[in-house]
Amino acid sequence: MATEERKQELIKGLYDSVVNMDEDTARELSQAVLDEGIDAYEAVTQGLTVAMDRVGELYANFEYFVPQLLLCADALYAGLQVLRPHVRLGERGAARQIVIGTVEGDIHDIGKNLVKIMFEAAGWIVHDLGRDVQLQRFVEEQKRTQSEVVALSALMTTSMMAMPRVIEMIKAENPAVAIMVGGAPLSRDIARSYGADGYADNAGEAVREAVRMLDELKNK
Amino acid sequence: MTDRERIEALLSRRKPDRVPIWPFAPQGFAVIYNNLSLAEAYTNPEACYQALRKTCRDFGWVFFPTVGYAAMGAWEFGGEVRMPSGEYDQAPMVTRCPVAKDEDIYNLKWPGPDSGFYPTARKLGELARQERLDNEPFNAALGAGGGFSLACNIVGLDRFLKWLIKKPDLAHYLIRELSDWSLAGLDKQSEKLGTDGVLCLSGGATSSNYLISPQQFAEFVLPSLKEGQEKLRALGYKTTYTHICGEHNANLPYWSQIDFGDPGIIGVGHEIKLETAARYFPDDIILGNLEPAIVQTGTPDEVYEATRKVVEEGKELPGGFIFSPGCDLPPRSPVENVRAMTKAVNDFGRYA
Repeated sequence: MATEERKQELIKGLYDSVVNMDEDTARELSQAVLDEGIDAYEAVTQGLTVAMDRVGELYANFEYFVPQLLLCADALYAGLQVLRPHVRLGERGAARQIVIGTVEGDIHDIGKNLVKIMFEAAGWIVHDLGRDVQLQRFVEEQKRTQSEVVALSALMTTSMMAMPRVIEMIKAENPAVAIMVGGAPLSRDIARSYGADGYADNAGEAVREAVRMLDELKNK
Repeated sequence: MTDRERIEALLSRRKPDRVPIWPFAPQGFAVIYNNLSLAEAYTNPEACYQALRKTCRDFGWVFFPTVGYAAMGAWEFGGEVRMPSGEYDQAPMVTRCPVAKDEDIYNLKWPGPDSGFYPTARKLGELARQERLDNEPFNAALGAGGGFSLACNIVGLDRFLKWLIKKPDLAHYLIRELSDWSLAGLDKQSEKLGTDGVLCLSGGATSSNYLISPQQFAEFVLPSLKEGQEKLRALGYKTTYTHICGEHNANLPYWSQIDFGDPGIIGVGHEIKLETAARYFPDDIILGNLEPAIVQTGTPDEVYEATRKVVEEGKELPGGFIFSPGCDLPPRSPVENVRAMTKAVNDFGRYA
């Protein structure tokens, strides 16, 4: 059994490997966590998740850009791939769930993928429908998974026109679902006019916005 | 003045009678306005040309008959695209990039004249060269966009962006190869077209600060853009219309190192303030920068008011000003909004 000092050393190493975009080290240290009997859940939440929070900050402050973010995500996933199967079910309570996708007519998915990374890092279960997603698929997937949040992405002015329609379709099935939108041509005003409950200007803000929406809906 | 005279006046550093309206990439709106399908903007050059011609005439806009799309390169180098067909599609979309494995970049299949979109663009170009209207300052286009955007399109954006950090040698190699190919193409095109009525085009959406850092812009984007413009000046082209697409504020110190002509035409999106653009390009004509989404989602009154603000800010810029949405005129913009936009420029864009 590892000492507390060793545990903290490994968690700090995991944190650094993600922030420094070091996929190999993230994988090696995650394996070391398991080999040395350290709790996988703690390694994920205190190492990987906290690291992605920091990456989100660096991105929001224009210190990191998309290339860095993508490589940090590779390190995150390398660690998660090793650790996730060993996180004991029930340990973290019922995880929140989100359905995410780029709407029909749009194949630009880099923004959607960045948002997905942030939710996964924060411990959410993410149901990623991909890109150019037929509108009915969002309705069906939300219903199937009973996700509390649906996140819609669009880069084009034409594809963003799908958003009010799909929001209406989802809300018609389940008015309690919180729906957020994002993408270059959107703004908070447009999001509101489309009937969305939330809007995130960038990937770093998306998880906070989702939590805010859920709190707001709960207090209604 | 005619629109052609207005643009010629600006290029001669004289003031026109009013601010000209030259919407960026209006082909999608034009085909829909003419009751055609959006796909025809990219598949039917005759219909697209006539639609652009009629739309520019109906609204009183500068007519510049050319068509292209942001993801060009993927299809031409052997990948696949899907033409817009659905209700929410906007432009051709890449469904398969030609570079599947890293080593594929050492065996690129260079496009021929009949590759990908080239036959469509060539046909539209031939139609354009057959006439030159009084609202048409240029009737041919010559592209010099540099190697970076092309590299993103043929490798795939996510993958190529990772190369900037993990495999910079690979990224530099590919950009170099594509730049050399592009520069050689300028020689051939220049021989064919001459200089009269030819407008050079440049720009970059994938190099915005939404995606890359200013340092990455300086290292990977700037050199080939510069080379392209130096080549164009050497070939005798006096001006380039460059579309600085999206959030490029932190890249502006680098963009301003490039000689876009005497004067150049610098198109900016709503993400860049007009006064900022003019500070970096004091001797060039600034083109822009109404937020495109408002033309699609706003009311006519909102569009009119937003346009007024842009025109009043832009019309006194020292190097001259041309009005345009900051990026593509949204294809499905309501006609009454487009009329409101046009009316506001005409109402507030007059010079005393």
